[in-house]
Amino acid sequence: MSSCIFITDENLEPLISKNIKAIPNLQGILRLFKSVYTPESQPVISASSFHFVHIKRSSLLYVSVIHAYDASANVMLIATFLDQFHSLLKKYLAVSALDKNMVLDNVLLIMELIDESIDFGVIQITDASIMRDYIRVKVNMPENKTIDDLSLGDSDTDEEDNKKTKRRSGKPNLYKFLRGAKDGTHKAEHTDTAAKEDDVEDSYNSYIAKATIMPVSWRAKGIHYARNEFFLDVVEQVQYLMDFNSGIIKKNLIHGKIICKSYLSGMPKLKIAFNKLSQKDEQFISHSKFHQCVTWPSSNEKEIEFIPPDGDFVLCQYELKRHVKDQPMLKLVSFGVKPKLKKYKIQMSCTIETHFKARNSTSTLNLKIPLARLFQEYQIDLKKPARFKSDSGKVLFNISDDFLLWDIEVMKGGHGDTQLSMAAEFSLFNKKEFEEEQEELKNSMNPPPLRDGPKLEELYDQVHNEKGPSKMASRLLSMKFEIPYSTCSGLQVEYLKIDEEQLQYQSFPWVRYKTVNDEEYGYYV
Amino acid sequence: MSDQRIFAKYKANELRAELQVFDVKKSKTSAHKRKDALRKIIANLTMGNFTEMAFLYPEILKFWKIEDDLEVKRICHEYVRSLGSAKPKNAAEALPYILDDLDSRNEKVQIMALETLVAVPSPRFLEEATKTIISFINRRVIPPTVTKTAIYASEQIDFTENATRSHLLTLLLKFVERENTEPTLQVAALHALHTIHEKNIDLQPLRLPIDVAFKLLDLLPQLNEWDKALTLDSLTTAAVPESHDDAYEMIDIALTQLQHVNTFVALNAFKFIAYLLNYVDHVDENLIKRFSNSIVSLLNKPPEIQFLVLRNVILLLLSRDTPLLQLDVSYFFIEFNDPIYIKDTKLECLYLLANHGNLPRILEELEQYATDIDIQMSRKALRAIGNLAVKLDKESASDCVTVLLDLLEFGVDYVVQEIITVFRNILRKHPDDFTSSVKELVKYNDSVQEPESKNAMIWIITQYSCDIPNYLEVFKVFSSNILEENLEVQYSILTSSVKFFVKDPVPETEEICLQVLKICTEETNNPDLRARAFMYWSLLSMAHSSKNHIISAEAVKSVLDGELPVIELNTKLDPLVLEELELNIGSIASIYLKPVSQIFRSSRTRHLLQSPVLNKDRSNLKILSGSTSTVNLEGFDSLPEMVSHSSSDRSSSTAARKKMMNDYDKPAEKVNQLKGRRKSSVTSPSKISRKPSLLVRKLSMRKPF
Repeated sequence: MSSCIFITDENLEPLISKNIKAIPNLQGILRLFKSVYTPESQPVISASSFHFVHIKRSSLLYVSVIHAYDASANVMLIATFLDQFHSLLKKYLAVSALDKNMVLDNVLLIMELIDESIDFGVIQITDASIMRDYIRVKVNMPENKTIDDLSLGDSDTDEEDNKKTKRRSGKPNLYKFLRGAKDGTHKAEHTDTAAKEDDVEDSYNSYIAKATIMPVSWRAKGIHYARNEFFLDVVEQVQYLMDFNSGIIKKNLIHGKIICKSYLSGMPKLKIAFNKLSQKDEQFISHSKFHQCVTWPSSNEKEIEFIPPDGDFVLCQYELKRHVKDQPMLKLVSFGVKPKLKKYKIQMSCTIETHFKARNSTSTLNLKIPLARLFQEYQIDLKKPARFKSDSGKVLFNISDDFLLWDIEVMKGGHGDTQLSMAAEFSLFNKKEFEEEQEELKNSMNPPPLRDGPKLEELYDQVHNEKGPSKMASRLLSMKFEIPYSTCSGLQVEYLKIDEEQLQYQSFPWVRYKTVNDEEYGYYV
Repeated sequence: MSDQRIFAKYKANELRAELQVFDVKKSKTSAHKRKDALRKIIANLTMGNFTEMAFLYPEILKFWKIEDDLEVKRICHEYVRSLGSAKPKNAAEALPYILDDLDSRNEKVQIMALETLVAVPSPRFLEEATKTIISFINRRVIPPTVTKTAIYASEQIDFTENATRSHLLTLLLKFVERENTEPTLQVAALHALHTIHEKNIDLQPLRLPIDVAFKLLDLLPQLNEWDKALTLDSLTTAAVPESHDDAYEMIDIALTQLQHVNTFVALNAFKFIAYLLNYVDHVDENLIKRFSNSIVSLLNKPPEIQFLVLRNVILLLLSRDTPLLQLDVSYFFIEFNDPIYIKDTKLECLYLLANHGNLPRILEELEQYATDIDIQMSRKALRAIGNLAVKLDKESASDCVTVLLDLLEFGVDYVVQEIITVFRNILRKHPDDFTSSVKELVKYNDSVQEPESKNAMIWIITQYSCDIPNYLEVFKVFSSNILEENLEVQYSILTSSVKFFVKDPVPETEEICLQVLKICTEETNNPDLRARAFMYWSLLSMAHSSKNHIISAEAVKSVLDGELPVIELNTKLDPLVLEELELNIGSIASIYLKPVSQIFRSSRTRHLLQSPVLNKDRSNLKILSGSTSTVNLEGFDSLPEMVSHSSSDRSSSTAARKKMMNDYDKPAEKVNQLKGRRKSSVTSPSKISRKPSLLVRKLSMRKPF
C-alpha cells in the first residue's frame, strides 16, 4: 500500500504529510514529485523508484506515494481512498469545498483522520458518521479563521451557536431542499423536527459503542431518538443535450440518487419496495448502485431490506437512459434570430414547453440564452436600450458573460400544452445615423445630450477587452430547473416499512421526489 | 487556536523554553500551552525541520514519564516514529516507555505503542514488535481493536526467523478459520496471510481450504466497504474452486458486490469473478451483461478514477478473445471537458472496441474530433483513424480512407500532414487498394512541413511513382534542399533517389541520384548519412561496372526496392503476461499494461509469488505425472490433492498451453514465472464436469484453445 501521503496546495507546497512506512526524507520525495508533475499529467506518475498517485480536488492535491518495491500496492485502492478521504474531510469540516487555509487550520484533526482511516496502509474506515465517534478534536471553523485574516470583533462566538451553524451547514442538502419546496405545512414541521432531532442526537448519542468491529459496521449500537423519523428523498438529475438546428439528441440520461436521513433508534430493519424493482426494470436493476448496508436482492425480489446507518447517507445511485423519443421535461420549441436590417433592429425569440404531469410545476426555472454569437455576427449598438418581453418571469441581461437570463420560477406542467415564450430586441449599429450625429455634435454648440443609466457599451468593451478575444462562442442554451413531487423516470417508492424488534416504536417515514437539471441540460442553438 | 500559528518554523531552544517555563506553574492553562508547544514540535517535524527537533529528545522523554494525557502520548509516539527512521539510536532510549505503554489499560495507548514499535526500523524494536504481535494475537482477552492492529502490524514486519514466521502464519490461519469472532478480525487475518505470503518468496503460495473460502465469502454482506474489497482481493488466487459448481457459487456471491458504490469494491469483485471464470466451463450471457453494466457505471466517476477504470477496461479488452465486456462504444466517446489523459485512454478503448459493426459510428465520432480546435486532439483522432484502417480488413479500411480524404479537403496544415503520415501506414497494410488516392495526396505536397510527414510523403512518392506522372518534379522539391532537412528526412531522400534510379535508370533519375549522393558524401557532416550514401554508391557502381559481375543490376534492384512486408499493428500482449495482468486488475501493472516484475523493479524474483499457485507446481509436476494421469502433466493447480478434481478443464487448458509455449518464445524465466495459471476458459469445450472419460479428455485436448 502507499508509503506516505501528502496533501498539498496548488503549488505543491505540502500542507500535510503523513509517513506510513517510515520513509526517510519526505521532502526529497515531494521534490521528486514536483519535478515530474504537470497539471496535465495522468493520475499515476512514476519517477525513479516511486509511483505517485494523485488526485486533484478543489484546489488541493492529494498525493500518495508507492515505493517501487511494494508490489502489492493497488492504485485503484489508493485512488478510491484519496477520493473518499476528500469527501470525508468535507463532511467533517462541514464545507462544500476545501481550501488551503481550512486544511492548515485543522492539521491535527486531519492527521488523526488519516491515522484512523488507515492502519499500516490498510484502509479501515472512511465513513464520516462513524469517524465522529472516534475523533473528537474540535473543528476549527472558518469563523476562527477570519480572526486571523480580518480580526473580526466577536472572536468568542459561543459554542452553542458555533455548533449549530456547523450542523446546519453540514446538512446543506436537506435545508436547501426544504427551502426549495415552498408550500405544504408539514414541510415546515419537517424542518423543525429535523433541527430538534439534531439536538437530541447530541445529547443522547454522545457515547456510542465502537462500531467498526461489529458485524454491522456502519451502524453503532445504542442509538436513541425521541421521535423516530426516516426521510427519503428521490432526486433525479436529468442530463439532456440536443443540437437544436440539426435535431440530434446528444445526451438523454437520468442520474438518480436516493438520499436518506435516518433518525431511528436501535437497530431498525427497513423494507423498501420500488416500483422499478417490482416491474423488473432491467435497466434499473443493472444500473443501480446501493449503499454498503444493502444486500442486493439476489433474484426476483421486489424489495430491498437493510439496516440503515445513522444520519445522512445515499441509499442508491442509478443511471437510466431515456429513449430518444421521450420528450425532455422542459423542451425548447422554437428559437430564432430575426434581423430587421432596415430598421436596424434584431429580434431574438424563444419558446419553451413542459412535458410532465399537469398538476406539478417547477419551483425554479432559469434559462440562459447565449448571446456571444449574436454579438460576434452582428454589430450591436448597446447605446440604445435593448428591450425584453416575456410571458412570465423576468429577463436579465448579463453583459460580462454574454447571456440573457430568463428567470421564470413557476411554470405549470403539461404535455406540450403549456408554453411560454420571450423575445428580446437589440439595436444594430446604424452607421449613417452615427455619422450624422457626430457631424451634428461637431457643428452645434450644444453639449452632447445627457444619458442616464449605465453605459452598457462601455461596460461591454471593458469586460471584453480584459478577457481578450474569446475563442469559442458558447452556443449552449442551458436550463436550470427544479420540479418537486415528480420523478423523470417514474420511480416510486411503493412502501417503506420500519421494523425494530426490540423497541417496537412508532416511526415516521417521509418520502419525497424531485427532479432537477444536471449541469448539462440544454440545447445548442 | 488555529493550527496555522502552530505551523511556523521554530528553533529547538524556543520550544524548550516554552516547555520548561510552564513546567513550573502547574495550572490548567499552562498544561494547555505545553500541549501547544508539543504540537509545534510535530508541526515542525512534518515540515521537515528534523535537525532542530532532534535536540528535544530529552524533553519528550520527560513528558512521557509524567503525562497521562492521551494527546501528549500521541505526540510523543509521533515524535519517536518520525525521528526513529532517521535516528534509531535515540529511539532506543524511548523503548522502555513504549513497552510500558504496551501494558497500558487504555487500548488506544496500546495501539499507539504497537504502531510505534513497528514503525522504527531497528533490530531491537523489531524483536520486541514480533514478540508483542504474537502474544497479542494469541491472547483472547484483549480488546478486538488491539488484536486487529496487531494483525495488521504483522504484515509490516520482516521476519528474521522462519520459525516465528510459520508460527505466526498458523496463528493467523487459525484466526481465519475461527468461528464466532468479529468478521473484521477474520478479514484482517486473511489479509495479513495474503500479504505475508506475497512478501516472502520462500513461502508456498497461500491457498485456503474451500470451506474456509466459502465462509469468508458468506461474511461479505456484514463487512464494511474496505473490508469487502480486501476480502475479495485476498481471495483471488487464494480460494481455488474444486469444481465448476464451486466456481459458480462463488461467482454468485461475488456478483452482488459488482454494484457497490465504492469503485474499489466493484473492481475487486470484478477481478475475483474474472479470476473464477478460469474455473468454469461456460459463461452465462447475463453474467457478461452485468459485468459490462457494472463497468459502465464505474465510468461515471471523478476523472482520476475514471482513468483507472478505463485502463482496466483496456486490459480486459486485450485479455479475452471473446471479450468479457460487451460495451457500447458511445460510452467511450470523448467529451470536450475530459482531461487529456482520459481522452487518450478513451481513444485507445475506441480503437480496441472497433469492429465492422460499429465502425461507422466510431468514424463519425473520430471525424468530429479531427476537426476539433485542440490540435493535439485532432492529430490523435486522425492517427486513430489511420490505425483503425490498419487494424481492420480492406472493406472497413476503405471507409476510413474515405473519411481521411474528406478531411484532407479541410486543408488545414496539421490535418494534412497528419493524414499523409497516417496514409503511409495504410498503404503499407493495403498496398494495392488505395493507389487512386495517392494522386490526391500528392497535391498537398507543399503543405508538408514536419519531418515525419515529409518522410511519409517521400515514401509515398517513391513507392507509387508509376501513378504519379510528374513524380520527379515533386521529388525535386524535397531533394533540392536536402541540406536543410533533418536527418531522418535526409535518409529518406537518399534512399528514394537511389530507388528511383534503380527502378527506372534514365538520365533524369541518374542525375538526381548522383546529385544527392554527392551532397550526402561531400557536404553533410553526419557520418552515418555519409556512410549510407557511400554504401549505396558502391552498390550501384558495382552493379553497373562492366568488369566484375559480382552483383547483377537485378539483384541490386531487389535489394533496394524489394517487396515490402505487410505491416501488422500488434496490440496483442503475450497471453502469459495478460493472464498475470488480469489477476492484477487495479494495480499499477494494469495501468502500464506490463507484467508486475517490470514495473516493480528488483522484485523480479520476488514476483514469482504474485501468482502463488504457479511457482510451486514445477516441483510437484513430476510426482503428479506418474500418479494421476498424463493429462495432468502441467498441473493446472499447484497442489496434488487438487488435481484429481477438475481434471477435465485442466486438460483442455493443458492442450492450449502446450500450443502457447511453442508460439511464444519467451525467455525461460518468464515462462516459468507465469506457468500454470491457465485461463481455461470461456471457450473450453467440455461440459462434463466431474469425471470425464479418457476419450473426452483426449478429445478436449486436441481441440484448439
